[in-house]
Amino acid sequence: MVASPIQTNQGKSLDVAFSCDYFEVRTAVETVMGFLRDNHLSDDEIMGCELAVAEACNNAIRYSGESGGRLRIQLRAFCSTSQVMFWVHDHTKGFEWPAKIELPPEDSETGRGLYLMTSLMDKVHYFRGREQNILYLSKKRGAMAVPQEVVDPESREELIRRLAENDQIITDMAEELSFCYESLAAIFRHSAEQGKGTTKAEFSRRLLNDLIQIVSADWYVLRLLPEHGNSLNFVVASESLFSEQPIPLQNPETVVHPVEEEAVLTRQNVWFDQSRPLAPTDPLGRVKPGANGVVHPIFFGERLMGTLVLGRNLTRVPFTAGQLNVVGTFSDFLAIQFVNAEIQESLISGRLTERELEIARTIQRSLLLQELPVVPGMKLVSHCESARQVGGDFFDVLEYSEDEVLLVIADVMGKGVPAAMFAAILRSLIRALPRRNQSPGELLYRANQLLFTELSSVDMFITAQLVLVNHKTRTAIVGSAGHCPALITNSDGSEVSSLTPDGMPLGILLDTEYDDIEVPFEHGARLLVYTDGIPETRNRAGEQFSFPRLAEWLKESTRNARSPEAMKTEIIEELARFQQDDVLQDDLTFLLLAG
Amino acid sequence: MFIHLAGAVSSGIGFARAEADDNMKLQLSNETVRVSDIRELNANNSNEFRDQVRASMSASQRFIEIDLSDTTFLDSCGLGALIALHKTTCSRNGLVRLLNPTPPVQQILELTRMHRIFEVVRR
Repeated sequence: MVASPIQTNQGKSLDVAFSCDYFEVRTAVETVMGFLRDNHLSDDEIMGCELAVAEACNNAIRYSGESGGRLRIQLRAFCSTSQVMFWVHDHTKGFEWPAKIELPPEDSETGRGLYLMTSLMDKVHYFRGREQNILYLSKKRGAMAVPQEVVDPESREELIRRLAENDQIITDMAEELSFCYESLAAIFRHSAEQGKGTTKAEFSRRLLNDLIQIVSADWYVLRLLPEHGNSLNFVVASESLFSEQPIPLQNPETVVHPVEEEAVLTRQNVWFDQSRPLAPTDPLGRVKPGANGVVHPIFFGERLMGTLVLGRNLTRVPFTAGQLNVVGTFSDFLAIQFVNAEIQESLISGRLTERELEIARTIQRSLLLQELPVVPGMKLVSHCESARQVGGDFFDVLEYSEDEVLLVIADVMGKGVPAAMFAAILRSLIRALPRRNQSPGELLYRANQLLFTELSSVDMFITAQLVLVNHKTRTAIVGSAGHCPALITNSDGSEVSSLTPDGMPLGILLDTEYDDIEVPFEHGARLLVYTDGIPETRNRAGEQFSFPRLAEWLKESTRNARSPEAMKTEIIEELARFQQDDVLQDDLTFLLLAG
Repeated sequence: MFIHLAGAVSSGIGFARAEADDNMKLQLSNETVRVSDIRELNANNSNEFRDQVRASMSASQRFIEIDLSDTTFLDSCGLGALIALHKTTCSRNGLVRLLNPTPPVQQILELTRMHRIFEVVRR
C-alpha cells in the first residue's frame, strides 16, 4: 500500500493505492481514517466515513474479475473545513448502479453495501467507464470542524508548493470543466433548434457531431427502437460505411448477434476492440480493423429508445469514465428530445393521450429537486403542483457559495409541453451561468440575453424571481423579471415587506436591466417566493385570494412562530378551502424560508 | 456452564491476515456457542468467522451468543455472516444473541434494521 499526503489552500488530501485484496482494504481505510482524525473529524463522523469507504473499496474488489484484480485500486480522501470527499478509482469491469437502492430482505446475506454508503454519506455517484470506474462519496462536516493549521504563506517553499498544486488542480479541473461546458453549450444550441422544423436525423446529426468532438471519437451510429417495435432502425451515422438496414431483434436465423442488438437485449454498454472484434457480418463490421468503441443503450426512464455507437479508429485507448458520463448525458438529452417530438407530433394530429402527457410531466418532475439543500441555521420548504398535466412553473435552489443559497422561482407563460421545455431550459441555464459575485439582477440580465431570441420567436415570456440569501450575514438580495412580489417579514411578524425590484419578464425586451433590492433577513423572519397561482386563486363568487390576504397570513404565521412545514400544509389547505373546490385552477408553486 | 476452549478452537478474526491472529474465543456449553474477543467482522474475515462458528457447533447446539463488546468495526459482509449464523440457529429452533455491541456496531445494526431480527442484550 502506498500513501501520499498533499496540502492545498482548499484542504488536505491523501492518496492511497492498494492491491485488489480485502485485507489491503482494511489497511488502506485505517490509514485514511488516521488522516481524518489528524484533520479533527469527530469520532462519529469518522465512524460513518470508515464504513462507507470500506464498503466502496470492497465493492471495487467484489466486481474486479480476473483481469481487474491485477491493477491497484486508488483511494483518494480530501478534507476541507466544510466537507470530506472520497474517490475510489478501480480498473475493473464495475457493476450496474441500481435505479433504486433499498435494503434487501432481512434474511439476505448480501446486498447492503450500497444502502450503507448512501445512508451514511450526503452524496454518492458512480461513474462507469471501460474497466475503470470511479465511486465518489462526500459528506459535509459538522460543527466540530476546526480550521486547518496555519502555514506561513510567505515562505518560498510554501509558495512553490502551492503553485505546483494549483497547476495540477487546474489541469484536472480543466478536463472535467471542458467536458461540462462543451456539453452544456451543445445542448443549449440544440435545444433552440429543436421545434424549428429540423428532422430527427438532422437534429441528431448536429448534436452527435458535437459529441464526437467532445469525447474524441471518430464516428457514430444512431439507431432507434420504435415503441412496441422489434427492430433497430437506422437514423443517422457519421459515415456511409454502416448498414442502414433495420436490425431485427432476437432473429433466430442470426448466427452471430450484432453488438447493437446485444446492447438492447442486455440493456448495458457493450464494448468492442481488438480483443473482442466486430464480426464481419455485423452491421458495423466495415470499420477499420482494430477500431474500438462502445454501444450505449439509450433510455427514457425504463423505456429503451435505441442505441448509440461511438468508435475510434486510430487509437486503442478506450473511452474514459468521464467521457462515458458525457455520452450518457447526451443520450438522455436525445431521449427527452425524441419523446418530446413524439408528443409534439401527437399534439399536431390531435391525438395527445393522457399517457403521453404523463411522459411530459415526467420531464418536468425530473427538473424539480429531489431534496432541498440544507441552509445552515434556517429552514426551507417547497411546493410545486401543476393544474394541468404539464405546467410552466418551476423552482430551484442552488448552493451559490459557501455562505449563500440562490432561490429561483419562475412561471413560463402558458401551459403544456412548450412551457415545460422552456422551464427546463431556464433552469439549466441558471445552473450553468458563472457564479462569480453575480447578483440576482445580473443573472437575470444574462438569462434574458441568452433566451431572448428563442422566447420572442415563439411569442412566449417567463416571469422569474431570484433571491440570494446569505445565511452568515442574514441578508437577502432579490431580483425580479416581472414576477409577483417576494414577501419578507421581520423577526416578530409585526411587519411584512413586499419586494418588487424593477425588471421586465424574460423574452420581452433584449436590453432590459434588472434591479436588486437588499434587505435584512432576521432570526425568526419568514421569506415567501411564489407564483401567481396563490394570490389569484378564486372562489366561486369570483373573488381572488389576493395579495393582502397572503401578506396578512404570512405575518400571523411569523408572529405565532409556526414551523415552515406547518405553514406549508396550512396555506395549501387554506387555498383549497377558499376556492371551495378540490380541483386546482392554476399552478401552485412556492418556496418558504424561515430565518 | 461454559467450557473454555480458547487456544484449542481459535480463528483469525481481527485486523490481520487469517493465519496471523488468535484473538477470537469460542466457548461451548450444552446448547450454546459463545463467541467473544472479536475485533472486527469485515469482508476479509467474515466468511472464516461464519465457517469456524458453524464448525464448532455440535448437533445439540442451537443458540449462538456473540459478544460484540470488543468489536470496533462491522461491515455489510460481517453483517452477512451474522445473518448466515442466524439462519443456522433458526433451522434448529434456536437464535443468535448479540451481546453489548459497541457504538459503531450498534449504528450499522440500526441503520440496516437488523436490530429487529437479532436479540440484542446488554449485560
